[in-house]
Order: sequence, then C-alpha cells, then structure tokens
Amino acid sequence: MKVNLHPKEGLLFNAFMLAFIINSVQVGVGLAGLPRVVYLEAKHDAWISVFLAGIIVSVVLVFMIQMLKQYDSADLYGIHVDIFGKWAGHSLNVLYMIYMTSTFFIILMNYVEIVQVWIFPTLPTWQLSLVLILLVIYAVYGGIRVVVGVAFLSVVGTIWLAVVIFVPLQYGDFTHLFPIMNANAKQLLMGAHSTTLSMLGFEIIMFVYPFVKEKQKAMFFVQMGNLVTTIIFTFATLISIVFFASNSLEKTIWPVLSMFKIVRLPNLERFEFIAVSFWMLIILPNMCFYLWAASKGFSRILRRKQKWGVWIIAIAAFAGSFFIKSRYQMNTMTDMVAKLGFYFAFCYPVLLAMIVFIKKWYKRRESKHAETS
Amino acid sequence: MLKRRNWLKLVIGVTSFFLLTSCGTEPKQLERLGLITAIGFDLKKENQIKGTVAVSKFDPMAKVMTNVISADANTLQTLRAEENLATDQRLEMGQLRCVIYSEELAEKGIIQLVNALNRDPTVGNMVYLTIAEKDAFSIISMDEKKIKVNIGTYLYNLIRQNVERELLISPTLHEFNHKFFDYGQDPVLPILKVKKDKVAISGVALFNDDKMVATLNNDKLFYLKLLTDEYRTGSKELEFNRDEFKNIMNIQGGQSYGEIYNKLFISIDNLRSHSKIDLVNKKNLVFKVQVKMDSRLLETTNYLDLSKPANMKFIEKKINKEMESQIKKLLLFFQEKQVDPIGIGNEYMAHVRGKPISQNKWKELYKNAKFDVQVKNTLTKTGTMD
Repeated sequence: MKVNLHPKEGLLFNAFMLAFIINSVQVGVGLAGLPRVVYLEAKHDAWISVFLAGIIVSVVLVFMIQMLKQYDSADLYGIHVDIFGKWAGHSLNVLYMIYMTSTFFIILMNYVEIVQVWIFPTLPTWQLSLVLILLVIYAVYGGIRVVVGVAFLSVVGTIWLAVVIFVPLQYGDFTHLFPIMNANAKQLLMGAHSTTLSMLGFEIIMFVYPFVKEKQKAMFFVQMGNLVTTIIFTFATLISIVFFASNSLEKTIWPVLSMFKIVRLPNLERFEFIAVSFWMLIILPNMCFYLWAASKGFSRILRRKQKWGVWIIAIAAFAGSFFIKSRYQMNTMTDMVAKLGFYFAFCYPVLLAMIVFIKKWYKRRESKHAETS
Repeated sequence: MLKRRNWLKLVIGVTSFFLLTSCGTEPKQLERLGLITAIGFDLKKENQIKGTVAVSKFDPMAKVMTNVISADANTLQTLRAEENLATDQRLEMGQLRCVIYSEELAEKGIIQLVNALNRDPTVGNMVYLTIAEKDAFSIISMDEKKIKVNIGTYLYNLIRQNVERELLISPTLHEFNHKFFDYGQDPVLPILKVKKDKVAISGVALFNDDKMVATLNNDKLFYLKLLTDEYRTGSKELEFNRDEFKNIMNIQGGQSYGEIYNKLFISIDNLRSHSKIDLVNKKNLVFKVQVKMDSRLLETTNYLDLSKPANMKFIEKKINKEMESQIKKLLLFFQEKQVDPIGIGNEYMAHVRGKPISQNKWKELYKNAKFDVQVKNTLTKTGTMD
C-alpha cells in the first residue's frame, strides 16, 4: 500500500476545522465524570492537574504534527508501514483499529448508561445503542466532510452548555480551593493521568491529516482546539470543587451533570434533562470520528471498501452492548480503555515521532553523502 | 427503483422513527399521575418510620385537590411502594417540593433518608428540607381549605419567600448535602410549627453531622445569617440601656417622648454586609471574625438627635459593641453544642497544608477555638428624617 494518501480535492477540508475537530472529539462522555476521577487523585488541586494534562496534550500534539510534517500527506497507517515494514506495520495498524473500536464502544456504552440513570431507567440498552450506531453509520457513510460537519455542528450547538456551568458557581464555597498546591507532584501527575479518558480524541489528527487543505496551518488550529478543551475542563473541575463538598464529590459519578441539577429556568424545573439530551450531540462526533478512523483501516490495509469496515465495527459494538450490564463492568471496561488510551494516544505517538525523526535525519544524511561522493 | 443508498436512508429513517417514539419507556399521562409535593417522616417506633405524602391531583372534576397518604416502613422506597398501593394514581417524585422530618427523627439522624433522595435522579436538587417541631404528619395533613393551596406548594412558598427576604438560610437539599459532606461545616434546617391552622417557621435546627442537637430562635438567626451569607436585606432590633443615650436624646421644649419602654430599642435595616473569618493564629486557633455592614436606622423608641455626626458615630459605636457581644455569644453557643454552621472548619482547613484532618479531629480542635469578633457598622441613612 501507499504511504501517502492523496485524497481528491473535493474531499479536503479547511485547516481551521481542525480546531472544531480536536475540541469536539476531546469533549465527550469523559467530561461528565472528569472532576471526580481527578479529585480522587489530586484532591482540591484537581484543577491544576487538569490544566497540566492540557499542557501535556499540547506537547504531544506538537510531536504528532511534526511527525506528520515529515511526510507529504500520510496518515498513521501509512507511517507505520513506512517505518516498520509491511508485516509489523500492519499488526500495529490492527492494534490501533482495535483500540479505536473499543473507544467507540466505550463512548457508546457510557452515554447509554447516563441516559438510563438520568432519564429512562427501563430503557433497554440495545434500543438506544442501535439508534445511535445507525446515526453514526449514516454520518460516516457521508464521508469525512460530513463527519467534520458533525463535529462543527456539535461544537456550535453545545458550546452554550459551557456557559451554563458557571451558574452553580454562586452556590460554591471557595474555601475548598485552599491551600493551593497542597498536593505533591506525584499526586498532581496521577491526577493528570486520570484525565486520560476525557482528554482522549486528539490522536484522530493522525488520521485526518491527509484531508487537511492547508497543512502548514494545522499546528495552530490543533493547538487552539486543545486550548479551548483545556479551559472548559479546568473550569468544570474548578467549579465542581467549590460546588461539592469533598465527600460528596468523591461519591458522585457524574459531577458535571449533577451540577446542572441546580440550574433552574422558568417553566423548566429540571435542566439536567436538557443537558443529558444535549450530551448526545457532544458524543456524536467522537463516535463518528472513531468509527471513521477505525474503518479507514480496512480500506488502507485490506484495500477493501471502507463501508465493510463500518458495518463490521458497528455490528461488533452492537453485539458487545449485550454483554455489559452492571456498573462495575462498565467501570472495569472504561478503566481498561483509559489505560489503553494512555499508551496509544499519549506515549506511543511520541515514541513513534522520535523514530520517524531519526529515520528522516538518517536518510537526509545518506542522500547528502550520495551527493558529495 | 430506489438506489441502494436511498434504501439505506429509508431503512435507517423508519427504524429510528419507531425506536425513538416507543423507546421502551411507558407513557406517563398527567391525569393518572399523583404528584408528590411534600413528604413527612415520623419515627413510629424503633426500626419503623411513618411516611406521609401530600399528593396533588390533576383531575379537574375532583374537588379535593390533595390526597394525604400515610404508610409505615423502613426505607423510603418501601414507603413509596406502600403508598402507591393505597391510591389509584401512580405516585411520582418529580415535583417534590418539601420534605419534613420530625424532631424526634432528626435527633437520631436523617442522612439515610436524605441519601435516598440524593440517589434518586427524579428528585431535584432544590427540594427544601425542614424539621417539624412535633410531628410531620400533623403538618402534611393540615386542613387545606384554610391555607387555600396544596400543602407542598404552601410550604415551598413559605420557605422561598423567607429565603428571598433573607430572613432564613436557604435549606435546599443541595445545601444540606454540601454542608453535611463538608468536614468543616454543619447543616442548618428551619423548624416548622403549626400555629392556629397555619404553618409557621419557629426557628432553625442546628445539626452536628446528621443529628439535630440544638435550636436557634428567630431573633438569633440574624447573626447566623450575617456570618454565613452576604446580606442584602434583613433587619434587626437592638436593645440598649436608655441611660447611656441620655446625652443625645432630643428633647424639644421639654416634651418627652417614648416612655413606653424603660429601655431603648434601635431597629436597623441592613443594606449590605460582608463577613470574613480568618485564622490569625494557627497554633492557638484564634479566628478573627470581621463583619462589615452598611445599614440604615429605621426606628428608635426614643427621639434621638441624629443631625450631628458625632451622635451618629456614638450610635454606631454602641451598635458595633452590642453586635460584637451578641455574635461572640452565638459563636460560644455553637462551640458548646459542637455545631459549626458557619464553616469555621472549612476556614481552618483552607489554611493548613498537608493531609486533610478528619472530622473528629476538627471537632476536638473546635472545642479550643477562640474568636475575636469585630463589627464595623456604618449607618449610611436614617430614612426620610434626621
């Protein structure tokens, strides 16, 4: 297969859409529970941890973009083959596809669980997951430009929820924040580590990169997307800390949704119902991008049509939804994917970037030698 | 013939349509629902709780709007099931406005019943929690013809308008949780009392953990509110010895005024206030309580000469001193009862680095805390007269 992917002109999208893509893929189902998981590690300095995690993501993004810039127009599937050869490269590609499929699955299951707990306790899992999966398939069938459109709509349609999150602030107790920097470095890093699930999604850049029109502008917009995410996450965590008492934050599964309970509008007593429903719009681009990127592997590796991949992954995820029933199964699954994500999205790309730099540097030197001799 | 692509769209569209309309949940028709607007809990005997609910009906034909159902059980869920068996309507908690715990129950601890509300996603966060002076049953089963509205709505309005007038600390479920789960703060709930076929607020209950340990009368509530929230309204009557004010009393042409009382009362109206608690000495646990307020003098029982700045300063000083002593008394009372509704513990923990201390440890420390109270009251206005 070819290392570089040269899509048709009509399939390309503008670089500034990357900001929306990165932001919409990062903000997802993880945010609902983010403040609590970080609080468990870093206590009332959790917001510092979240901010730290945002900085780490931005560094990882620098590595990713620099690595992609070494090639003309390649995605991760191509780079793997270029670096590791056909067999090893393809096995890594398959691993990545499995990882993205399981992330897709986890996002789906987490959202279904939220809906079941908050709105429809008797709703069977398969019904909602079927509707969501069909919707996502429909979007992915439209191709990358439709998926990017979904991301754009998702951000534009839900950014106002970030403003609503400031309403609970008036019920906050700011003494909870002090003393600042009480957690030691290890706790802060552990806290940053536990943001993984929420921060995940930026690795999608390694798959959509060939479709960006002005590739030299990619870095700026990717960083902008991550910046907005970091700000939203940090504020959500900060407000949760002042809003909840220590003990209750540790016990609340979805602090961000619980905070919406306090919002009251005339004629609308229970704002969280709106928030939970809108959450679907938030997770939709996540699912679309993971399904798209994972199914892209089928066309890249096996040279089959991408839609086969879409159906195989969708059916696998749908079948998987029958096996997860209880909260603790969800927890173990989610933790597992978060762990996978830590290696696949944070550690491995940096390592790969290093290898690519070394290889390219070596090649340049060789060609220089060839010229001079 | 349709193309394959269009077929797919059609199939997806039709399936989504059917799935989304049914969605596996039963429809809830308003007429068949009984909306619980208030719940009361009493301790029946050991290991048994009596729950009473006020249910609002939506049937326009029915004359009686509210239905009171009572049942005995150990947990809230069983209570609801029992109550559901006693009515033709499907009971729903979504419109719950007010929960009443009897004093007897509150003295034994209510967190089990509060947590049952927390866990239930249909219950909102702004439900008011209250304490009944005697039993909750007699409040819920009050004669509705006399109060004209549903008892749940009545209680909700009763509390809300007092919270809005800032006569009461907001007792929502959220605030209770927040203060209960915080190590360094204890919850406060209002006490309801039946008074001539009406329900009134007779004071507040102070909690140590989830147990009610003391009560505070309405007149002391001002100071508690002053220390916990930023005031915007609220008024207070202060008592002084009349002799102390002899120099500034305005006696016009030998007329004498206001001999009804042998004391002097000054009523001030708070415009804005700001209180700050600071840990000034970590070792000896000295807290500096600073209250700054702007107020307006509205009523004096004797005619005082308010036109001279020096006189105003004199009154301000007197008021400051009186308030300081009252606040100090209140703080010592809290300390004695081992309750911390102001959140002094939070203030302490915000200043201490390292591992957070446990609740028990804080309560030990709290016994030895000392307070230095400073009130700075500025009389900005004196109404329409000097």
